[in-house]
Amino acid sequence: MLCRVADSLFWMSRYIERAENTVRLVDVMHQTILESEHSNEDVGYAHWEPILLTLGEKDSYDALYPKRTSFNVTEFLTFNERNPSSVFSCITSARENARTVRDQISTEMWETLNKLYLFVKRADSQMICSESDFDFFGKIKEFAHLFRGILESTFPQDLGYEFVVCGREIERAAKTCQILDTKRFTSGSTSEPDDAIDAVQFAAMLRSCTGFEAFHHEHGSDLDTVPVRQFLLLSQKFPRSALFCIRRLQTAMHAISNCPITLFSNEPERLTGRLVSRLNYALAVDVESESGDSLIDDIENELENIAIAFSRQYMQAEIYDPTVETSQNQRQG
Amino acid sequence: MKIDYDTGDFYDEMYHPDGTARPHYARLAETLSALGEEDFHKKREAVELAFLQQGITFTVYGNEESTEKIFPFDLVPRIIPASEWSHLEEGLIQRMTALNLFLHDVYHEQKIIKDGIVPIEIIKSGKHFREEMVGFEPPKGIYIHICGTDLIRDHNGEYLVLEDNGRCPSGVSYMIENRRAMKKAFPQLFPASGVQSVSNYPDKLHKALQYIGPQTGAARIAVLTPGIYNSAYFEHCFLARQMGAEIVQGQDLVVKSDDCVYMKTTVGLKKVDVLYRRIDDDYIDPEVFNKESMLGVPGLMRAYRAGNVSLANAVGTGIADDKVTYCFVPDMIKYYLDQDPILPNVETFLPYREADMKYVQENMENLVVKAANEAGGYGMLIGPAAAKEEVAKFREMVKKNPRDFIAQPPISLSRHPTYGDEGLDGRHVDLRPYIIQSDKIRVVPGGLTRVALRKGSLVVNSSQGGGSKDTWVLNNDQ
Repeated sequence: MLCRVADSLFWMSRYIERAENTVRLVDVMHQTILESEHSNEDVGYAHWEPILLTLGEKDSYDALYPKRTSFNVTEFLTFNERNPSSVFSCITSARENARTVRDQISTEMWETLNKLYLFVKRADSQMICSESDFDFFGKIKEFAHLFRGILESTFPQDLGYEFVVCGREIERAAKTCQILDTKRFTSGSTSEPDDAIDAVQFAAMLRSCTGFEAFHHEHGSDLDTVPVRQFLLLSQKFPRSALFCIRRLQTAMHAISNCPITLFSNEPERLTGRLVSRLNYALAVDVESESGDSLIDDIENELENIAIAFSRQYMQAEIYDPTVETSQNQRQG
Repeated sequence: MKIDYDTGDFYDEMYHPDGTARPHYARLAETLSALGEEDFHKKREAVELAFLQQGITFTVYGNEESTEKIFPFDLVPRIIPASEWSHLEEGLIQRMTALNLFLHDVYHEQKIIKDGIVPIEIIKSGKHFREEMVGFEPPKGIYIHICGTDLIRDHNGEYLVLEDNGRCPSGVSYMIENRRAMKKAFPQLFPASGVQSVSNYPDKLHKALQYIGPQTGAARIAVLTPGIYNSAYFEHCFLARQMGAEIVQGQDLVVKSDDCVYMKTTVGLKKVDVLYRRIDDDYIDPEVFNKESMLGVPGLMRAYRAGNVSLANAVGTGIADDKVTYCFVPDMIKYYLDQDPILPNVETFLPYREADMKYVQENMENLVVKAANEAGGYGMLIGPAAAKEEVAKFREMVKKNPRDFIAQPPISLSRHPTYGDEGLDGRHVDLRPYIIQSDKIRVVPGGLTRVALRKGSLVVNSSQGGGSKDTWVLNNDQ
C-alpha cells in the first residue's frame, strides 16, 4: 500500500470520528443548557467555556469572535470554515482524504461521505445555531454510523482497513479523555461542590460518549468521579473507553505488521503496548483525584506520541529500499 | 412531449430541414414525443443529483477559489448509424497510423522534412518538440497510445477533423458514466437492435498498458495524476479503479540509482513498470523539463530512456497535435501511407506563411483564430462574434508570434436537439471518439459528444459552458 494512501485512510477515518464526537459534544451541551439557567448570553456562554478549554480552542474562538455567546460557540464548533476542527472542516477534510483514495475505498463509502458533506454544506447554519436543531445533529451522527456500517460490509478487511481502524481508535480514545477533561475545567470554575449539578454534568459526559446506559449496566446509578472515570478510561467492554480503544488500536497495528501481540516490532507498537498494560492493570485508586488527573494527561500525551511514531513508521518512512539492500548484501557477501 | 423544433440554417443531426426525423432517429423521435415533459424534467434532475452525489465533477478555475461542478448532461442521445461509424473508424485509424509514423520519423531520420513535405521550422519552433526523445525508441514503437480526436460536421453533414489530442486527452470517464446514467434514466429509449457498448474501455486501456510492460510476468501499472485539485481527477481515479491499477502522485514515486521507478509503500519501495501519466511533458520530470514542477518525478526521463519504465503516452507527442502540425496531417497520410485522407481537415490558414498572414490580417473579423498550443478553448478568438478591441488585440498577437496561431473560417457546427428551459432546442455539437493503440489500433464505438449549451454558442468545452450527451453507435443503419 502506498504511504500516501495509508496516510489518507488514517486521516479520513480520524476526521470522521472527530466530526462525530464534536457533534455529540455540541448536541449534548444544547440539551443540557435547556435544563440549566440560560437566561442571558453570559450564562449561556459559561456552559460552553469548559468545552472550548478542553478542546484547546478557546484562543482561536476569541480570535474569531468578539462576542461570547452560545450561538457563536455553536457556529464556531459546527460550521466555521476558519476553525480547522469545526464539524464542517473535519467533514471537508475527511472528504478530501477520501477523494485522494477514491480508487481504494468502495463507491458506497465515498458516496456516503460526499452526501454528508453536501448535507452540512447546504445546511442553514443561522437557523441551526439559534434553534438547537437536534435533527441536524442527529443526522450527522447517523451518517457517521452509516459510514462505519458501510465500511464494515463493503471494505476489504486487509491492510487499508487496519489503517482506518487505527485512525478511528486513536481519535476516539483522545476524545474520551477530552470529554473527561471538561469536568475538570468545570469543577475548577465553581467553588462549592453541588451534587445536583455534578450529576447533570456526569450524565452529559456519558451521553457525549454514548455511554450513559452502558455506564448504568456496569456501575448502577453511582454517578461520581471515580466510577465515571473507571468506566470511561478502564472499561474492558465499553467501545469508547480509552482502554478499549487503545486495545483495538493495538490489534490493528499488529495486524499491519503481522507481529504477535505479545511482542513488538516497532516504536508505535511498543508505546501502545506499554499504554495498554498501564490501563489494563490500573486500580480504582489510580483514577482518583490528582493521580487520575495525571493519568488522563498521560494518556493524551502518549496517544499523541503513538500517532507521531505511527506516521513515521508507515507514512513518511525511512522505508525499506531494495536498491540499498542489494548493495549491502553484495558488500556482506 | 410536444416537439416544436426549428432546424434553422444548420445541419441538424436528428431532423431533415423539412422537420421529419432522419431514419436512424425515427424511433427516438417517436418515443420522445410520447414522453411527458414533466417526466423528462424529473429524470433530468435525478441524473444531475446522482452525478453530484457520486462526485462525478470537474473543477473550474478562474474564480477566487476553484469550484467543483458537474459536467452538464443532456438526456437526448446522439445517434450514429453503423455505416457512418465504419467510415469514421477507418478514417481515425488511418490518421492515427500516420501520426505515429510521423512521430517516429521526426524523432529519428526526419525523412518527411528532408523530402520537403513538412518544413523544418514547424519542428524547430514547436513548443512540444522534445530534444530528449531524438533517437529514442519507445516500447513497441508506439507514441500515441490514447488519442481523442475532435470531429465536427459542416453544413452538408460531412465529418471534418478539428484537432487531434495526442497528449493527455480527457473525458473518457464521462463517455462511460453518461451511458450508465442513460440506461438508468431511459431504458425505453434504447433500440431493440441494441447500441454498441463503451463500458469495456478500461479493459482495453489496461491491455494496451500491459502491452508496453515487461515481456515476462504481470506489469505493475500505475496512473500518475497531478492530484485531487486537477480538473480531471475524478477520471484518473475512475480509470485506476476500473483497471485495478494504483493511482499515484509524483510524491509517491522515486527514481533510485538503478534508474528504476519505485513507489513508496508501507512495506517499502515497489518497482513500477508502466505509468499511464496524466501529467503533461512539461511537468513530468523537474530534472529535465520545468524545474519548478512539484507534480513530477525527478529522474523519470532517465528511467524512461533506460527502458526501465514505459510511459503512455510517450513523451514528445505534443509535436503531432500542435495546431500548426495539424495542417500537415493530410500530407502525412499521403506521404507515409500513399492514401487519400478519409476524414478531411478544416481549411486552415497558417500566419507564419506570408500569404496566409496577409489574408488572416485582412479578414480576421471573419475568422476563428486559435493559439497553436492551447487546449480547452482558452486563447481563442471567434472573429464574427468578437468586439473590435478583441480583434485588434489578436491582430497584434498574431503579428508578433505568427507560429503560435492558426486561423480557420468559422464552421457552423452541426446542431442536435437538446433539452433546455424551453423544451427541445438546437445546440451545436462536436464528437470526440477515443482511439487506443496497442497490437493494433482500436476505436471505441461512440465517444463523447460535447454540446454548447448556450444558445448560438460554438464553444463546447466543459470549462466554457459545454455539456455532453451519450453517443450511440447503432448495430445497423436504422
